[in-house]
Amino acid sequence: MAYAVKAWNDFKTYQNGCYRDYLYATEGLRVMGSTWSALAPLKGLGDDIHLIGGEPHAASLAGTLPDESRENILAAEIAGMGFHSCSYLKLFTGEVIRDKIGITDGTIKEGYPRPDLIWTTHLCNQHSKWYQEVSRRLGGVPLFPVDMIGGGNAEKDPKIVNYVSNQIEEGINWLQKVTGRGYSDELFAKAVRNEIKVLVLWGNICALNRHAPAPLDERRLIALFPPAIVDRTTDESVRLYETLFEEVKQMVATGQSVAPDQRFRIVYFGIAHTYGHPEMARILRDVGAEIVASVYTFGTCGNFKGIVNGEWSWDPIDPKWVDELDLSTRRKAITELAKIVLGWPTWQGVRSYWALESMARAMIKEFNADGLLLAPSRSCETDFRNGYVGLQRIFKSKIPTIEYDTDQVDVRQMDLPGAQRKTELFVHLMEAAKRRSA
Amino acid sequence: MAKKGSDTVIERFRSITENPQGYAKSLHEQGKLVAGYMCTHVPEEILYAAGIVPVRILSPHVSQAMTRSYIHETYCSFSHDCAYQGLSHNYDFLDLITTSSSCIHMGEAFNVWVRFAGFEGKSYLIPYPHIIETKPAAAFMKESYGEFKKFLEGFVKKPITDEDIEKAIKVYNQTRRLLKRLWELLRREDPPISGPDVATATLASQFMDKQECNKLLEKLLKNLEAAPGKGAPGVRLMVSGGACDDIEVLDLLEHLDYSVNLIFVDSCTATRYFWFEIPEGRADKLTAIAEGYISRIPCPSKDNVPGTGEKKRLRYVQQFIEEFKPEGLVFLYQRFCSPQPHDIVAMRPILDKLGVPSIDLELDSTVPVTQFRTQLEAFLEILKPVVPLE
Ligand code: SF4
Ligand code: SF4
Repeated sequence: MAYAVKAWNDFKTYQNGCYRDYLYATEGLRVMGSTWSALAPLKGLGDDIHLIGGEPHAASLAGTLPDESRENILAAEIAGMGFHSCSYLKLFTGEVIRDKIGITDGTIKEGYPRPDLIWTTHLCNQHSKWYQEVSRRLGGVPLFPVDMIGGGNAEKDPKIVNYVSNQIEEGINWLQKVTGRGYSDELFAKAVRNEIKVLVLWGNICALNRHAPAPLDERRLIALFPPAIVDRTTDESVRLYETLFEEVKQMVATGQSVAPDQRFRIVYFGIAHTYGHPEMARILRDVGAEIVASVYTFGTCGNFKGIVNGEWSWDPIDPKWVDELDLSTRRKAITELAKIVLGWPTWQGVRSYWALESMARAMIKEFNADGLLLAPSRSCETDFRNGYVGLQRIFKSKIPTIEYDTDQVDVRQMDLPGAQRKTELFVHLMEAAKRRSA
Repeated sequence: MAKKGSDTVIERFRSITENPQGYAKSLHEQGKLVAGYMCTHVPEEILYAAGIVPVRILSPHVSQAMTRSYIHETYCSFSHDCAYQGLSHNYDFLDLITTSSSCIHMGEAFNVWVRFAGFEGKSYLIPYPHIIETKPAAAFMKESYGEFKKFLEGFVKKPITDEDIEKAIKVYNQTRRLLKRLWELLRREDPPISGPDVATATLASQFMDKQECNKLLEKLLKNLEAAPGKGAPGVRLMVSGGACDDIEVLDLLEHLDYSVNLIFVDSCTATRYFWFEIPEGRADKLTAIAEGYISRIPCPSKDNVPGTGEKKRLRYVQQFIEEFKPEGLVFLYQRFCSPQPHDIVAMRPILDKLGVPSIDLELDSTVPVTQFRTQLEAFLEILKPVVPLE
């Protein structure tokens, strides 16, 4: 029987709570930016920082309020943003243009809550352009972008770690100046440890999917990692992921799964399109095919061992390592944070095809996959789009592989019937391969 | 009638832009080391100091579908075209291919060369800031340049001295100064040279050995600086955009039913390529190069001032509008270019304030001449109440 995750309600409450705080807080600071950023530096300003992060907000809104989301995307296009621009960006900016905001509990608030500042990241070409546009439209919100020159083992390159750390240090000075607040290194170090802990715990939870049956499916993975993205710096977020880790360990020990019928194990490279297109997930579910590992859910905000001796490893990092980290000075805490953030798997493939290939090789092997599903996201310009074209070339002779286009949140950009037909063929390919090897 | 000196020089530049790989191959046949570079953030001075001639890889402007199975179709057509140059083996003779981590689209074109076109053993990716205005950028660039220099020293099997670098900086700065003087001619009400010809010389310089290029530019300027205007000045148009290496579009601008003068091109294949200098005579050569490149007109993909989020590039565009006085502006950008359209949205209110109308043209591998002509002529009709048309 399918297992129901007990921690789920607490996760939902936490996520909704963060968003409600951003919408309705009467005190404290509202901060906006890519959640693909190091968040702990904000927490040195106090524990009244209310966050909203671009990508998870756009993704969850598309799942919760699809009609509103479509209107937002259209509003952004009418305001001049290109059809092919990032659809997360357009959905998010569309809300600013329409002067209203929706959140995961279904609330739609009229009047866009203006952030006090923007703290963000620049990795792809559009990343910080996104917030430049939001800032401009809101009459000039102070903005600090951190250049995350990630990709291909960057966290182990001292030159890059130093560059990112220097910027974060610069950013902390800016935060004090722009808010007029003092800065607590104690609060900062605590937030750094929490942030790293959550990322490492999530890596451990994902790694448990190596077992058969895999305890979690793609749908639960998608649902359970947003709290890690929305605000992973709090004690509460650590408690949530510790509880979940224990629960999933227990599932493995007792052979339970949220989707126990797992004839085929799939490794997936792409953004979470099955969320917006449940009909795609259904084709797989009906034949007992489950996505058990995906670079997006594992690696957008989760850490693993990464490149070891020239090859990628999805081995988890021992959570105890986090407790022992020396964060006794601001610089030490910044450096550890920069390293962990630069180590996110979804960044490694950007500009580093070899790292992307190595991640795919390792995931297929370690998660004992029967098939590789590649779904380039048409309006995302990192490896979520291009790397996969190369991956298909390389892997199709090694493992049943399918590739079709999707999009982050713009349903117009997906050829649904074509993708469905390809998915059916994919199932046949996996079936045939299984028969051959029987 | 005998050709003027300036005409023969322009013809030489034009022949190079029409067959850049032929030009690069001729350098190779003369026994020179030749490196392709895919982004203008590559510090060409370091290559030149190592005795290597940097040659920019640009689009061949041929209709092709080959790259669609190597690069996703939603990457800009320019990156497809540059990838095609590798896959079609037009540049197999190159000794090296380099790029700096810049726009992701071009990065993928570079990856295609390395992965699928046989350049794996002769390639170098220079880690480079994605935001050029961060305070720690210069120190990072210096370190990155240092690694690049070391790689090149191994490649050419000799040390690159400070004197070598200083010499290269001077040669390159000279090119920049000469090109700037050439563009300044277009500020005149009745320029002695056409905009497309100036753009052609600028484009050619990106493929050329700079010492040879400098001689030609000096000759051209000598002929032009005291020359009278070409006569019949038309509507002054400025182009602003991403990579636009298709001279055919710029030629078209000056061959419409109305008389037009192209007076400025803000793009990385035109003025953004050279509108800066590297400080000379500095003890620390690599920091000098870093500072020089940081002072460029920022590429839209790298432009975000920490603290304010300002797009510095817009200040330059405004300055150029004030100095070169265009009556209309043509946004020219590659299909699927991701950073450029975001700048255009922010630039429109500035243009409104300055009273400069604009039009958008989207470039692809080949130029849809008829559609562009119709759009441009309609645009000029719109300008008609403001600007008297010939
Ligand atoms: S294009 Fe992709 S990487 Fe860039 S902001 Fe959008 S979703 Fe993120
Ligand atoms: S900046 Fe635009 S035109 Fe240039 S390579 Fe990038 S996407 Fe293409």
